[in-house]
Amino acid sequence: MSSKPKIKELLVESACEHSTDKKGSCNAPKPGATTGGCALDGAQIALFPFADAAHLVHGPMSCVGGAWETRLTPTSWSGRDLTQTGFATDINTNDVVFGGEKKLAAAIDHIIAQYAPEAVFVYSTCVTALTGDDLDAACKQGTERHGIPCVPVHAPGFVGAKNLGSRIAGEAVLRHLIGTKEPEESTPFDINLIGEHNNTGELWRYRHLLEELGIRVLSTFSGDGRISEIRTAHRAKLNVIVCAKSLVSMTRKMQERYGIPWISCSFYGMTDTSNSILAIAEALDDADLIERTRRLVAREEARLEEKLIPYREIFSGKKAVLNTGGNKSWSIASALQDLGIEVVATSVRKSTEEDKAKARKYLGENAVLMTEPASQQAKVIDETGAHLLLAGGRSLYTAIKKRIAFTDVNQEKKKSYGGYDGLLVLAEDLKNSLQNPVFELVDRKAPWQK
Amino acid sequence: MAEVRRKSGKPLQVNPHKLSQPMGATLAFLGVDRCMPLMHGAQGCASFTKVMFTRHFCEPIALQTTAVTDVTAVLDGGDYSILESIKTIREKVTPELIGVHTTGLTETKGDDIRGVAGKIDVPVVYVGTADFKGGLESGWTLTGQALIDQLTARCDRIDAQKMVLVPHVSMQPIEVEKIRELIEAFGFKVVAVPDLSSSLDNHLGEKQASLSSGGVTVTELEQLADAAFIVTLGASVKGVGATLQTKNPAIRHRHFNHVSGLIGTDALVAWLLEVSGRDALPAAVERWRKRLQDAMLDSHFSIGQTRFLLVAEPDHLAAMAACLREVGGKVTLAVATVDSPILADIEADQVIVGDLEDAENMSDAYDMIIGNFHTEALAHRLGKTAVMRGFPNYEEIGNALKNDVLYEGGAYFLFEIANAAERMRQEQVHREREQIRLQRIADSNLDSRPLPNHA
Ligand code: SF4
Repeated sequence: MSSKPKIKELLVESACEHSTDKKGSCNAPKPGATTGGCALDGAQIALFPFADAAHLVHGPMSCVGGAWETRLTPTSWSGRDLTQTGFATDINTNDVVFGGEKKLAAAIDHIIAQYAPEAVFVYSTCVTALTGDDLDAACKQGTERHGIPCVPVHAPGFVGAKNLGSRIAGEAVLRHLIGTKEPEESTPFDINLIGEHNNTGELWRYRHLLEELGIRVLSTFSGDGRISEIRTAHRAKLNVIVCAKSLVSMTRKMQERYGIPWISCSFYGMTDTSNSILAIAEALDDADLIERTRRLVAREEARLEEKLIPYREIFSGKKAVLNTGGNKSWSIASALQDLGIEVVATSVRKSTEEDKAKARKYLGENAVLMTEPASQQAKVIDETGAHLLLAGGRSLYTAIKKRIAFTDVNQEKKKSYGGYDGLLVLAEDLKNSLQNPVFELVDRKAPWQK
Repeated sequence: MAEVRRKSGKPLQVNPHKLSQPMGATLAFLGVDRCMPLMHGAQGCASFTKVMFTRHFCEPIALQTTAVTDVTAVLDGGDYSILESIKTIREKVTPELIGVHTTGLTETKGDDIRGVAGKIDVPVVYVGTADFKGGLESGWTLTGQALIDQLTARCDRIDAQKMVLVPHVSMQPIEVEKIRELIEAFGFKVVAVPDLSSSLDNHLGEKQASLSSGGVTVTELEQLADAAFIVTLGASVKGVGATLQTKNPAIRHRHFNHVSGLIGTDALVAWLLEVSGRDALPAAVERWRKRLQDAMLDSHFSIGQTRFLLVAEPDHLAAMAACLREVGGKVTLAVATVDSPILADIEADQVIVGDLEDAENMSDAYDMIIGNFHTEALAHRLGKTAVMRGFPNYEEIGNALKNDVLYEGGAYFLFEIANAAERMRQEQVHREREQIRLQRIADSNLDSRPLPNHA
């Protein structure tokens, strides 16, 4: 039986709140007005953090050439970091005409012989999916030849966008890895972290706190993840989804299959980090654990508050406009509020209904939810007297025109703003932005200009 | 000259530095003023490409996709999604040109994109750039040829002062500008095709760019065929000369494999002297030649004792190797992205078409690496030093203004490389001395131990 997931089923995933609305974000991309990566991109983002697995893209260089070694997902894996190693079959005309299956098999052999991975993920791409190379067979035979799981990931870009790809990745792991191994021991506080990619080390901002409480991270999907651990994920007592709605289908299926309940968490900012750690303890339903968690959260907040004192004055009375996508529209807002910055507007351009509701809840009645931030933000800045614009690089010009401070939200791709300590990093970066004269200065008129 | 291995013999690329044909096409269209490059394929290829160039140039990149899906892929012969895209694009912006370039998906399903141009009233140039063929260089060149082929009007006049300049894809914007200025200094008017020197040159624009903001204009492209000369720089773009000559056979074509280093620049300058009929160099050119000569002497000691690995597109390899070779640099290994006729002429001991795994396996052959940002991690693993050149470079800012060509750029290049090589050796010396020091401390601790009691 083919392991190709039923795309239609994944698209109308019941746990995906916006899918009932046919005009919602799940719809087909619009020709000429589409940004964002394809399903393959999404699948890679979801799986690449497994540094002990090889990630073989069966396709041409468009699919991988500019894209490997671009994601900062650090690992504590002691072997070679395969997250930062690019593998591609780099198909040529011959492979398109006569099929690339032989090449694919040889590529799998090469990888296993040279890099000894714990697993090989094999990704189909538009061309090889269209020409019909049999990924399932190649993976099955690879698994049999080498005794190492070779997992087909059917996420060619033409099936949809990143979100769908990450769902497909979840399906693949669910089907081929989870439940294929028993853990050496079990504890009553075993959890899986689903959708935590350890981008810029965010997981490491709070994992030690969970461990201090005796909560064991049995596996992660997939930040600092291990193949041997995800194979045991079916024995967890709780699934914790970290800021990734697209993986709800995965946790829902794990609930059906293995009876594992799930909760959704965010570790951005102090308030959300505290709430999330508490929510985990409450879901694990142990009075002593909950009590200890309360104490830990209080301790961490007090520690952080003290370190934030020098920033309080700088941020007091400051207003920010936030222009970023998805869950960041409220999670970063929450972090800003923790710092005492008023978030007067946020973008909900690509947000789901759920994200919009959350944004409204976090920001309050008076805030502007921008549906067309590119054209709206300049006006919003004028009307609100905002001091700071947090957005992607494209919006830099708006900030310069308005002569207000700018912070590239995509900085978080290089630096971790997560957890308690990440908030300090964010505070420092925002302080530096607010105090930097460049935004006032750079667009000044030259003395000879009128 | 070099020993050349044109085929990798492996079933895959590990740590690839090769980039795809559509990526080269996108970049070429970005060198046309007020152009919207439109990649015909599923949405991911355009997204990866956009992210790559955005990060390399630190600039917003104009690029759209026809966003082919599994549904449209089956039903559509290409027209629908392209026409839909153009309609949508024009609702928001008014491009002077739409640059349709295909990908493997749409080439495999056999879309016929030539018909599209007739169905709309905005200028469209289309080019087939399947990504299972060629690479960055060929995508760039095919697009340059398509621009001329589809836009340039036939002509039977010649403007004796007009020169068309065709750079290869690895030339950064400032390099194109420097070459243009040199040619202008000899009294010519220059049109570069494509021209990134005014579009992706890290200038602060008036507003956020939803179209390319600078580059050769469509009008200039239409009126290209009265040029007296076309100068192609880099083996990959040599064919563009013939393309333009089909529009006007009277155009004279002059080709240079590169314009780097003393000999390479001398060749261009000598030719400019000849065709301009002048008998003296512009003073600044003469001055820079002397500075380069001095730079060669200043840098030869460091570079002359260094063995280099070069990792780049073929034309870029040829240019860098020539420059290093002139001051005794030992280019022991050059790894090319794709095959090219220029490989045999590269001044290196060994030239291979391959990936960074190949380079890693041959690490005994070199001390220092010059290549794209992926070579940084390679250097780190090997305990060597890397200097960043080529696409993409995510590690550093200011890439668009890195100038390695002509006398001036050659001097900068040699200084940078010589300094990096010197620093590398200094660090080695420090490490060795530190080891000796620690060893001596350990030894002296042994010596000062109380003598064992023999009593
Ligand atoms: S859209 Fe298809 S061809 Fe393009 S990058 Fe994604 S998988 Fe590869």
